[in-house]
Amino acid sequence: MSETISILCVDDEPDVLDVVVRELASLEDTFPLETAGSAAEARECLDRLRRDGTGLGVIVCDHIMPGENGVDLLVAMAGDEQWRITRKVLLTGQAGLEATVRAINRAELAHYIAKPWENRELLHVVRRQLGLYIAARGLDPLPYLRHLEPGQAAALLRHMSDADR
Amino acid sequence: MLIRTMNRKWTGLFLGLLALLVMPFLSLEGLSFSGHVALGIFSMAAIFWIFEPIPIHATSMAVILSQVLLLSDQSVISGRLKLLHPEGYTAPAFTQFYGTLANPIIILFLGGFALAAAAEKYKLDRNLTRVLLKPFGTRPVMVSLGVMVVTAILSAFMSNTATTAMMMTVAIPIVAAVSRDDPFRRLIGLSIPVGANIGGIATPIGTPPNAVALAALARQGVIVPFSTWMMLATPLVVVTLLLSWWGMCRIFPPRIERFELRIDSTFDRSPRAIAAYTVFIVTVLLWITEKLHGIPSGVVAFLPLVLLPAMGVLEKKDIRGFSWEVLWLVAGGISLGLSLQQTGLAVWMVGQVSWEGFSTTGLVVLFSLVGFLVANLVSHTVSATILMPIAISLVLPLAGGVSAALVIPIAAIGIIVSYANILPISTPPNAIALSTGLIESRDLATSGILVGALGFIFTILFGLVLWPILL
Repeated sequence: MSETISILCVDDEPDVLDVVVRELASLEDTFPLETAGSAAEARECLDRLRRDGTGLGVIVCDHIMPGENGVDLLVAMAGDEQWRITRKVLLTGQAGLEATVRAINRAELAHYIAKPWENRELLHVVRRQLGLYIAARGLDPLPYLRHLEPGQAAALLRHMSDADR
Repeated sequence: MLIRTMNRKWTGLFLGLLALLVMPFLSLEGLSFSGHVALGIFSMAAIFWIFEPIPIHATSMAVILSQVLLLSDQSVISGRLKLLHPEGYTAPAFTQFYGTLANPIIILFLGGFALAAAAEKYKLDRNLTRVLLKPFGTRPVMVSLGVMVVTAILSAFMSNTATTAMMMTVAIPIVAAVSRDDPFRRLIGLSIPVGANIGGIATPIGTPPNAVALAALARQGVIVPFSTWMMLATPLVVVTLLLSWWGMCRIFPPRIERFELRIDSTFDRSPRAIAAYTVFIVTVLLWITEKLHGIPSGVVAFLPLVLLPAMGVLEKKDIRGFSWEVLWLVAGGISLGLSLQQTGLAVWMVGQVSWEGFSTTGLVVLFSLVGFLVANLVSHTVSATILMPIAISLVLPLAGGVSAALVIPIAAIGIIVSYANILPISTPPNAIALSTGLIESRDLATSGILVGALGFIFTILFGLVLWPILL
């Protein structure tokens, strides 16, 4: 049986979160979408995923939020064995140079999307990152194939042989 | 679901080990002690291969180990071997079992792997697809035919799985733009796995069941040249491919008027790419002309294995990327076949049933039917591996020393196994096609039944009418 891989979207503005969820809705039949309005909520969500044994493929995170900021959350996740290989995407208009550098160096940030972003840009990025996550985990790509970028799918499938089932 | 999977695995593990341990202590009439031991190993292998408590290639490795430990001159019970094998079983050198890994047919496959890796690395597969698809034009049914033909040609030399993966990733982005309720999506989604599954039959290196059949024949001293296999299999592939296409176009009639499968790629003209193309062409030509120069295909296969790494076409990581587990899987089967013959187990098993009144054709139909049904549920290679040693013992006395009379039934059984593609789990190409979302399980069942019926009927027909003339 294949493992469930979720996507977590964190943003304090409900309107932005709405747009994000709408853009990623096509992935939801395979990758459950989780949302959080703050870093604290995101941490609750992570605890729940940990309990359920669900993997987290991608986190799409805003930076400036009330309470803990996004980059700090990502750095904390990078230090946690369970979320270390989760692909981390920053979706923000206001992260300064310092915070961005910190995200790259300390949280191994995978991608930076500046708000406002172009239509489908986010979907494209998330699909790519999911492919990289599946490759890094060495998971069987078949259950996720229909959502992956064709080029990536070809590379992932190369490991299959005629003796596979 | 998970619990059921776990139960199945544990049941398989328990039954397999039980068979291995208990069989030697039974005293079945007419079976030697070594035959009992071989029966234990055979039963364990069959149970493990079907229930899959461990990966199927690991089962093959376990088979070779068990044979070395229990039936070779290095047996752990070797001091008492004479006592335990009172009927005078001469234990073969353990190197015989290890040697199956270097069997000429394994080397033939290895050569095929090297060629396929080079073709993939320099995008020869994509470029050939682009060039070969062009003449088929833009009428949707013709595009479907083109896809089937090109997939079949490629999968005759590459693995069915790699070909499907390549074709699917080329086709999906373009086909995805077609309206969801247009059957054309399903037609293309099925054309690829059907083409790949059928195409593998065409050459000895196309798919592992071919190797299983050829190895079984080689053990009886019948060496089938590359070109002879192609001469038998290619007309069958062409006929079943065309009829499958015709049938599938009736079941899934496209609605769109025009469709263009555009592929962006250009031939790599770097020196290494040219070297790869040259080695590919030379090797295939030498394989096809085996009868003219007399160099066996297993020897020719070593040419790309030397040249491609020597010229830097294949690097270390490419060699590591070969499907080594497929070779282990086939080698384990060949090794098992050795003991089935040497211990007299195969003859004993065949003797348990009265086959009187069965003609060779009747036997082939029966074994093909069993092989076909089993191969839908388990790996094609495994199905062929379990059946082949038994089938050949049955056919051998009927063949009366005529090699054609041995080749036809064994090739037919090996080939029909490849036509078993009804379920998503029947073959990796089916699983890939299903996971693209273009098709559903019942579409696979529809095409699988059509193609399976055609394959079954025409293989038997060709075996009766055409092959005797060709051989």
